[in-house]
Amino acid sequence: MVEAVRLERITKRFPGVVANDEVTLSVERGTVHALLGENGAGKTTLMNVLYGLYEPTSGAVYVDSDGLERDETGELAADPRSFDSPRDAIDAGIGMIHQHFMLVDTMTVAENITLGSEPTKWGGLSVDREAAREAVRDLSERYGFDVDPDATIADVSVGVQQRVEILKALYRGADVLILDEPTAVLTPQEVTDLFAVFEELTAAGKTIIFISHKLGEATAAADEVTVLRDGEKVGTVDTDATTREELAEMMVGRGVVLETTTPDREQGDPVLSVSDVTVEDDRGVRAVDQVSVTVREGEILGVAGVDGNGQSELIEAVTGLRTPEAGEIELDGRDLRGVSRRERARSGMAYVPEDRQERGLVMEFDLTGNGLLGSQHDSPFSEGGRIDWGYTREHTESVIEEYDVRPPTPETQAKSLSGGNQQKFVVGREVARDPTCLIASHPTRGVDIGSTEFIHDRLIDLRAEGTAVLLVSSKLDEVRELSDRLAVMHDGRIVDVVDPDAITEEQLGLLMAGEEPESVPRADRLASGADGAEATDDDTGDGPGDGGRGPDDGGRGPDDGGRGSDDETEPVRAATDGEEVSQRE
Amino acid sequence: MTDDGDEGGDGEVVVDRDEQPTLTTDGGAPATADDEQSATASYVTRWLSDAGIAEYLGVLVVAVFLVVVAVGVVAPSSAPGQFVAILFSKGTLAATLRRTVPIAFAALGGIFAEKSGVINIGLEGLLIISAFGAAAIAQVTGSVWIGLVGGVLASTLLALLFAVACIEFRADQIIAGLAIWLIALGLAPFASVVIYGSKNTPTIDTFDRITIPVLAELPFFGALFDNSPDVYLLFVAVIGSWWVLNRTRFGRWVRASGENPDALDTAGVDVSRVRYAAVSLSGVLAGLGGAALSISLRGFTGNGPTMVNGRGFIAIVAYLFGNYDPVGALLSTMLFTSLTQLQLELQASGVLSIPGPVVRTIPFVTVIVVLALFGKTRIPAAAGDHFESGEE
Repeated sequence: MVEAVRLERITKRFPGVVANDEVTLSVERGTVHALLGENGAGKTTLMNVLYGLYEPTSGAVYVDSDGLERDETGELAADPRSFDSPRDAIDAGIGMIHQHFMLVDTMTVAENITLGSEPTKWGGLSVDREAAREAVRDLSERYGFDVDPDATIADVSVGVQQRVEILKALYRGADVLILDEPTAVLTPQEVTDLFAVFEELTAAGKTIIFISHKLGEATAAADEVTVLRDGEKVGTVDTDATTREELAEMMVGRGVVLETTTPDREQGDPVLSVSDVTVEDDRGVRAVDQVSVTVREGEILGVAGVDGNGQSELIEAVTGLRTPEAGEIELDGRDLRGVSRRERARSGMAYVPEDRQERGLVMEFDLTGNGLLGSQHDSPFSEGGRIDWGYTREHTESVIEEYDVRPPTPETQAKSLSGGNQQKFVVGREVARDPTCLIASHPTRGVDIGSTEFIHDRLIDLRAEGTAVLLVSSKLDEVRELSDRLAVMHDGRIVDVVDPDAITEEQLGLLMAGEEPESVPRADRLASGADGAEATDDDTGDGPGDGGRGPDDGGRGPDDGGRGSDDETEPVRAATDGEEVSQRE
Repeated sequence: MTDDGDEGGDGEVVVDRDEQPTLTTDGGAPATADDEQSATASYVTRWLSDAGIAEYLGVLVVAVFLVVVAVGVVAPSSAPGQFVAILFSKGTLAATLRRTVPIAFAALGGIFAEKSGVINIGLEGLLIISAFGAAAIAQVTGSVWIGLVGGVLASTLLALLFAVACIEFRADQIIAGLAIWLIALGLAPFASVVIYGSKNTPTIDTFDRITIPVLAELPFFGALFDNSPDVYLLFVAVIGSWWVLNRTRFGRWVRASGENPDALDTAGVDVSRVRYAAVSLSGVLAGLGGAALSISLRGFTGNGPTMVNGRGFIAIVAYLFGNYDPVGALLSTMLFTSLTQLQLELQASGVLSIPGPVVRTIPFVTVIVVLALFGKTRIPAAAGDHFESGEE
């Protein structure tokens, strides 16, 4: 094998933390290598060392795009490289595509691609814009990309932005491409396209290293996978010779149940009903367009969609953070128009915001202070305008204990917790309100597998207790596994409400892209109890559709049988619920 | 590139989707000709229904202005007639241009700094220090041109101090900017007292007017070609700034540094260096403005708010109003200075008597109204943010 990159016993220490401990990584030229691990496993740190953003505490980096040569004794002939800055790494043929795109929104595609290495004319007096455009066109053609050099970044889709990032690295002569969580923001189709791009690139002799915490992607796209855990390398495996379960165990260090099971449960009356709601975003653009959804007692309604298709605005309208332009939102039959945040929380609405650091926590406060948030006006947390800190502390301690927040001290500042622990604390605080309706927006974003599993279990517990849960997530696995019904949002509209168990990933992807697949397993049985607008939607949908979708219905036969008959579910539910709760506690 | 068109089988969904406004991404391109036709036909009615208060106000102001001018042209001896005579006199334009110089230079400086992500609220201070520096050095050397260079140097040094505080030591840009103003406000008159025993410097020479033959004879616009060198220098600086910002590598880096410094950093360009360069450049440009001010007024006066008297703050308003575009900043500065100049001349000729202070508030009122109603100014996304390489 010809190595393109070799990281030799890399150790990187930050004050108080060892982010990478003697990690050795070897990547073959012209292959795709996945770096797999939970959050905080040290994947990004390792790549930042390779890219020159961090200087390793010890260890050596070898890079040669044509392959590293060895002398007769098998020792590496090349000298170790050390990159003081990304510039050095770029010069050595390494390009990095960060998780958050490093693009200037106001500039065009060509301007972004050439940024920092602009072709000039007239002795440097002017950027040669025609040459820049030409170079971008050449590159796009060579690798089969489809980008318009003159489009403004703010106007193109996330998938295209990612291509621009890749082109940017290629323009700088990168032979080794590092991608940090490249699929986090893409639809399933865009992910497929990206992996096709990987193939084009490796066929052209480029080497790709991508960071991921998703097992499926690592096995699907990579030739080899290296797993990191707690800053240490667990091992490197060939994707053809391993299983998802094995990889998961390597990541977490123990056996993991990959599938979450949602026991069947009969849903009750509508708790939250949203009808014909239209919401504008900050720029006055219509972000949510006449959306109607209903969440019933003991039901998890998932909202799937690519980020930025109106989910955030919908959630903000429901929680009272944004005033809808039109439409009605009811909680337990009460019209929420003009009802304040505080009043909504009092009537049983709990909210896990999508950005825990922005909206979920005050980062400078300790956990006790954060545990009080949202309850500061209510007894027993406060009496007559005075806060009962003793009670608040006890309450916080119970949340910390129940949700296994670490470190388990209420005096800890929120900002010194890891992301997963912050999220567990926020979820714990909200669930402790004993809500009738929980609005959970990306409840496991940036959270490691262990905590994700835990949070999922809590959501299922809530459902079992009869809470209505509105779950928004861009993780398809999550919404599919947890939801009873799945609403797919695209461009501010609910494209369809589907049965999450029966829909295929491909169909879901098409729906998320706003297209309508041939036939979709709608959440027929479950949707029939919905009120007004939604029921009408479904009726029009089902009338002509049912007949035409005969074969497909047949295909879903076993599944329908499994959850179809209400008579059976009733007694079973009572039993499972009891057991579920007692087992979990 | 799947079209949204009809496909048999899922009719109900198509109905649903057709109600959506046409997406601009792909597909659905037809019917542009129809659109154009109806656009012209119903433009007026559309405007009437879409227009907000801002549009109505704008149209009203323009209409009143046109009526006054029309009356003035028809009856030259009336009050509107005198108004028109003053409005279109060469003298008014020439004086307006001279008033424009210091403010527009400072505005150009502000554009560079803020485009790079450093809000330079200390422009007033840069004007003060360069006005004094230019006057003092011109007085000592006897050459206004050496004075000009001296003023620019003084201002650039102060701007560098500001840059070090903001970039190296990550000081709050607004507070550091105010400090720059206060330092200059104290230092310039103090130095003048130490050197000359008075807050005002002695009288110095001024620029020789440069008259371009033939063109200077033009009615009204002749004022553009019969003026002091600092006015010409300003025109060169405006065009040059536009070119640098929009056409050169450095300009791109400046813009990227103010919009997304991480993007610039990962592209291998040192963000701090770009910001240092941009802030220094703002010192040079503001320095030219301050030096031109004291040289054209034959000396530095340091009483109260000094001779600069708020011009640096108007400059900030001007470049915001001009949406960070050098030409826009020049035009908005000229709008403000022409109002001031008109007001002076109208008072002098007795056509109009509005208290001067009221007129001086016009730039600020205009900008608040315009920003509130139109809100078109787009502040660079990373303006005011500190940047540290490798920060995750």
